[in-house]
Amino acid sequence: MIQKKVCMVGVFATGKTSLVQRFVHSLFSAKYHSTVGVKIDRKQVQVGTEQVNLLLWDIEGRTAEQEIPESYLKGAHAVLYVADGTRRETFEQLFSLRDHVRSAAGDVPSIVALNKYDLKGQWVVSADDGRKLIGGGFHMLTTSAKTGEGVEDAFRWLATATLTAPPTPTVQPQVRHGN
Amino acid sequence: MPENGAPLTESAGGTRDLGDVSVGELSELRDLLFGAERRQIDELRRRLDTAEIAPDELAEKLPQAIVQRSARDRQLGIALAPTVENAIRESVRRNPREIATAIFPVLGPAIRKAIAATMSGLANTINRAIEHSFSPQGIRWRVESWRTGVPFAQIVMRHALVYRVEQVLLVHAETGLLLAHVPDDSLGDADLVSGMLTAIGDFVNDSFEPKKTGELRAFAAGDLTVLVETGPRANLAAVVRGTPPDSLPAKLQATLETIHLQWCDPLTAFNGDATDFTATRPLLEECIETVLATDTRAKTGGLRRIAWVIPVLLLLAAGMAWRTAGRNREWSAALARLETEPGIAVIRTERSGGKWHITGMRDPLAVNPSLLMASRGIDTNDVVAHWEPYVSTEPALLLARARRVLAPPAGITLSFKGDTLVASGRAPAFWIVRADGLAPALAGIGAVDLSHVTPGLPADMEPIAAEIENLRVLFAAGSDALDQPALSTIATAAGKLRRIATAADANRYDLTMRIVGRADPTGAETDNLALSRRRATAVRDRLLSLGAKASRVAVEATGSGDPIPADTPAQRARVNRSVSFTIRAQPSLTGNVAERQR
Repeated sequence: MIQKKVCMVGVFATGKTSLVQRFVHSLFSAKYHSTVGVKIDRKQVQVGTEQVNLLLWDIEGRTAEQEIPESYLKGAHAVLYVADGTRRETFEQLFSLRDHVRSAAGDVPSIVALNKYDLKGQWVVSADDGRKLIGGGFHMLTTSAKTGEGVEDAFRWLATATLTAPPTPTVQPQVRHGN
Repeated sequence: MPENGAPLTESAGGTRDLGDVSVGELSELRDLLFGAERRQIDELRRRLDTAEIAPDELAEKLPQAIVQRSARDRQLGIALAPTVENAIRESVRRNPREIATAIFPVLGPAIRKAIAATMSGLANTINRAIEHSFSPQGIRWRVESWRTGVPFAQIVMRHALVYRVEQVLLVHAETGLLLAHVPDDSLGDADLVSGMLTAIGDFVNDSFEPKKTGELRAFAAGDLTVLVETGPRANLAAVVRGTPPDSLPAKLQATLETIHLQWCDPLTAFNGDATDFTATRPLLEECIETVLATDTRAKTGGLRRIAWVIPVLLLLAAGMAWRTAGRNREWSAALARLETEPGIAVIRTERSGGKWHITGMRDPLAVNPSLLMASRGIDTNDVVAHWEPYVSTEPALLLARARRVLAPPAGITLSFKGDTLVASGRAPAFWIVRADGLAPALAGIGAVDLSHVTPGLPADMEPIAAEIENLRVLFAAGSDALDQPALSTIATAAGKLRRIATAADANRYDLTMRIVGRADPTGAETDNLALSRRRATAVRDRLLSLGAKASRVAVEATGSGDPIPADTPAQRARVNRSVSFTIRAQPSLTGNVAERQR
């Protein structure tokens, strides 16, 4: 069985832990728990004929000024960036965050989960923002840890990407025009 | 050459003669002077150029090289192992017989050694179990097990354990992914543990400036310690219960070095597929070990090796104590029984020289103490008894003595009322006389009451006497006339009287038949007495007329003074208007004297 290390990064309270909870345990809690350091969870994903064991490093969210410890990122096979559609700074931070991740883990497959899609009415991120992100070389999905929407797709995309050349996410156009 | 020679000539005129010497001569001279050295230099140059070792040279150096490297570390063995394994496999495949023949001499001893080791292990297990079961520590642990509900085996393990390497994980250093772990079934979340170990290591590295403090090598939780050995490409983590020895990190380090050496390429190229590292499991398994306190103590304490002797001795002692206690119980019971026995008085008992000594007094008529004790399960060979004879006045013994001395006939029962011996029943008159004389002389007997003894008759007379005494000659009220039934009864009585008289003569008994006349209570007693006399006389006269001797019959009138009992007054009146007979017989004086003299 193939094992892959997947790092979840993003500003605090974007929903990294909730995404893992939804993906691994099919659970959601509205209560906020701040992650300290890192929490590791595991989920097996079938990719074609291959079983992939994803080890999900749910890394403590930091403020925009604080950097994620490089040691947690090193050796990552894939990175899931998490941003909160209701908080613009979480989205704007993605580019500098990517630079930091690349310096530590290299240019590994990565995708942005634009989270909290269940609160779409409160979103401050526009379709233009999405296009800007994609133009900047990001792959992107809208997700909701609460409803489960897009969560499986995001992790599946990453699992596949670690094994092969990353395909274009199928839901990407919807996001582009969705707002 | 002339161009070369010209400057020589110009610069040093003194050497001009050399210019005449041919090149060939110079070479020859050089050969003569430096030939051997040049050849050596050429050989060295050739060797440096080719940089290969000649087979003959290798043959020369190989054994020494092997010895030197083997002395330094295990790498040679590790490197050679696959080749040797292949060679052996190939050899077995081609011709198994060769290998079988070669290892035959070592097989036998190896099997014997294995069996011995198994037996020794078994003995060790028993010793350990016994040590834990019988020692105060063991009992304490039992109590703890009972109190906490934790199985005893686990309590023993918890206390006796010095340390146990429970799990070993090989972790990819960069990704924190699990490469291999042993034992296989130990850790369901080995991959998570592997990741967290790496994360913890990272956290420590980031937080505490590892260049100054050193990297995270161990951390503990409860009685679990996790030792981490770090390498450039992989880390080795050992989960240890108990206190790990100082030698364990070095062992882990050596294992990690070997893995780095042998799996250098897979470690570098690792991309999530741990298949290549399955082969590291034997190396990891070498790190799994359990060391118990009892193991270390057993090495020094010779006595512990023979711990099994303790329960055997205990069992023997318990068996002996049980047997002794059992014997003592039997003895006490038998003694108590003996003391209640009439005619036996136990004064003293003691145990010495493996025997019971018993002293006391015994009436000769009392039971045999040896028989009584034997019947209670006592081995009388173990009993030394000293009995002083005495005369017991206990009623049971007095009776026994009276029976022995008086020898009463079967119809007599003896009993005691106070100190008076009471005899009742029918007995021959001579016995009554003798008993009357003998009994007061017996110790413990104050008086004799023979009033309940009726003189008995010989066997051939007794039934006839009873028949005669059962006859009733009945009369009408106020009458002494003999009716037909009365006459018939009298005739019967006359016949029986003849028979009993004949028997009495044969037995030399003096016999008399008393004819007792009665009357019912009606009327004046004077009249009744007279009536009863008339009735008796009427019967006597009739008997005499039937041939009875007058000397054998006697008339007695009782009126209504000695009535025959009956259930109702009417029956009583009827049965008492009658005449009955009583046989009185006693040995004739002359006959008895003759018998005694005979």
